[in-house]
Amino acid sequence: MRDVWIAAAAMTRFGRRSETLADLMAEAALEALREADCQPDTLVVTAMAPEEFVGEGNFASHIGTYLGLSHVPAIRVETATSSGAAALYAGFALIASGFHQRVLVVGGEKMTHVSTPRVSEIISRVIDPHERSYGATMPALAAMVARSALARGLIAETDMACVAVKNHANGARNPYAHFQRPVTLEEVMSSRLIADPLRLQHCCPISDGAAAVLLTSEPTGLKLAGMGQGTDYLAVRYRKSLTGFRATQDAAKAAFAMAGFGPERVQVAEIHDAFAPFEILSLEDIGLFQRGKATKAAQNGELTLEGRLPVNPSGGLKARGHALAATGLAQVVELVWQLTGRAVGRQVNARVGLAHSIGGMATNNWVTLVEQVA
Amino acid sequence: MQVSGYGSVLSYTTLTVAPEGFKPPLHIAVVELPGGARIFCHGKETGALKIGRRVAIEQVDGIFYFASLGLADRLTLFWKRRGAAPERTKDAVKSAVKRFFSTYKNGGTVPSTENGTQASEEEKALPPAEKR
Repeated sequence: MRDVWIAAAAMTRFGRRSETLADLMAEAALEALREADCQPDTLVVTAMAPEEFVGEGNFASHIGTYLGLSHVPAIRVETATSSGAAALYAGFALIASGFHQRVLVVGGEKMTHVSTPRVSEIISRVIDPHERSYGATMPALAAMVARSALARGLIAETDMACVAVKNHANGARNPYAHFQRPVTLEEVMSSRLIADPLRLQHCCPISDGAAAVLLTSEPTGLKLAGMGQGTDYLAVRYRKSLTGFRATQDAAKAAFAMAGFGPERVQVAEIHDAFAPFEILSLEDIGLFQRGKATKAAQNGELTLEGRLPVNPSGGLKARGHALAATGLAQVVELVWQLTGRAVGRQVNARVGLAHSIGGMATNNWVTLVEQVA
Repeated sequence: MQVSGYGSVLSYTTLTVAPEGFKPPLHIAVVELPGGARIFCHGKETGALKIGRRVAIEQVDGIFYFASLGLADRLTLFWKRRGAAPERTKDAVKSAVKRFFSTYKNGGTVPSTENGTQASEEEKALPPAEKR
C-alpha cells in the first residue's frame, strides 16, 4: 500500500449561492487543479442528493463533462452527510492500491433554492423508515441523543451553547463561512426550540457550496496519514448507546491504527457539529478526551483558536455551513490551510489535523488524519 | 406484534418543528420493553418523562403510544418486578440512599432518579435478526 499525499485543496464560500451546483463544483475543482498545475487521471464526484435538489443524475459523468474531463474515469460516492469524507476515502484507496496516480475528489450540494420543509424531507430520507414513520427528523433523533447525554451529565445546556458561540466566533474570521457574525450565549439559549432540548442556534444551517482535494502518489509534504470508517445500525433504537456513536469510535480507531499514532498527536480538529452537542460527544468518541471530560473543555476555552486543542477553526458546520456532500471535503480543506499557514485570520499552529464526519444519524462515519511531514 | 404493558424510557423529545404529515408539538419516546426490544412511541406530552422512567405502552391500529404513570403505579410496578426479594430490597435501599444524598447535595431538591430500574445500556439485547 502506497502513501497518499495532498497536492491541492480548494473550496467555495458556503452559503446562499446563486450559481448552479455544477458551477460551484467547477469553481472548487478548477481552483485545486490550478494550484497543483496538473490534470487528474481519475475523478471522484460526490453530492448527496443531486437528483432531488437540482434534478441532475448520472452525476459523475455530469460533473466530469462539465469540468472538461469527460475522458477521465469518474465515479460517484455517497454515504449520506459524510459523503465528502467517503469520496476522499475512495480517492485514497485508488492511489494507495496503485491503480491511479492523481485523483481529483470534488463534492458539492445546492439546497437553498428549495423550501426548508422540502429540504428537511429530502434529508430525512437518511433515517430508518420505521422511525421516520413516527415523525423522526434529524433534529428529533439528535435531540434524543442530547437528552440522553444531558441526563447522564456528559454535557450541560450551557456547554452546548458555548460550542455554538465559539464556532460563530471562528466563522466570523473565515471568509469562506456561511455565517460570519458572532452570536452571544443569550442569543443561542433563547433561540426557538426545534426539538427539545435542541434550539435553532444549536443546529447547523443548510448551505450551498463545494470543495475539492487533489490526491497524489508523489510526496508533497502533506500526507493523508490515516483514514478510518465506522458503521452502525440504521435504526437508532437498535444502538447499544445513545450517548456516543460507535461509528465514530470505530472510525477513529481505524484511522489512528493506519497513521501509526494516537489522539495525543492531534493539534487541530474539524468535528461534525451538525448539532452543537455532537462536538462535545464526538471529541470523546474519537479519544481526544475521556468520556465526560470534553464538556469541561468546552466550558473553559480549551477548544478555542487560542486554546490547547482548537476545534472547528473554520466555524464548523454551524458557522462555516453544511453543504452536505461538500462538508467532509471542506473540513480537510481547512486542515490543509491550517497546516500550511494559509488560514488567514484564524491561523493556529499545527502539524497534525483530524477531520471527523458523520453520515446520517451516525450510521456511516469517518475520521481522517492529515500530517505535515516536510 | 401485539404489545401492551410497560416499558422504560430510553430517551424522548418534543418536536416544535414537525415533518410533513405531522402536527406540532409532536411527542416521541423510545421505550425499552422488558424483553429488550426498543420501540418508538407517540404520546400526549413529554414533560412528565425522565430517562429510565416506567411508562405504559399501548398499541392502537398498529401505532405505539406511551403514557406516563403516576408515582403510585410506578412503585407498584417496581415491587412486582421479576427478581428475588433480596435484589428488590437492595435496589430499593440503593435508590433511597441515592435520593438522600442527592437531596443533601442539592440543598433540598430531589432530582428524579429512576436509576434502580435502569439497566446499563451495554447490557441491552440486540435485534434478533442481526448477526455480529
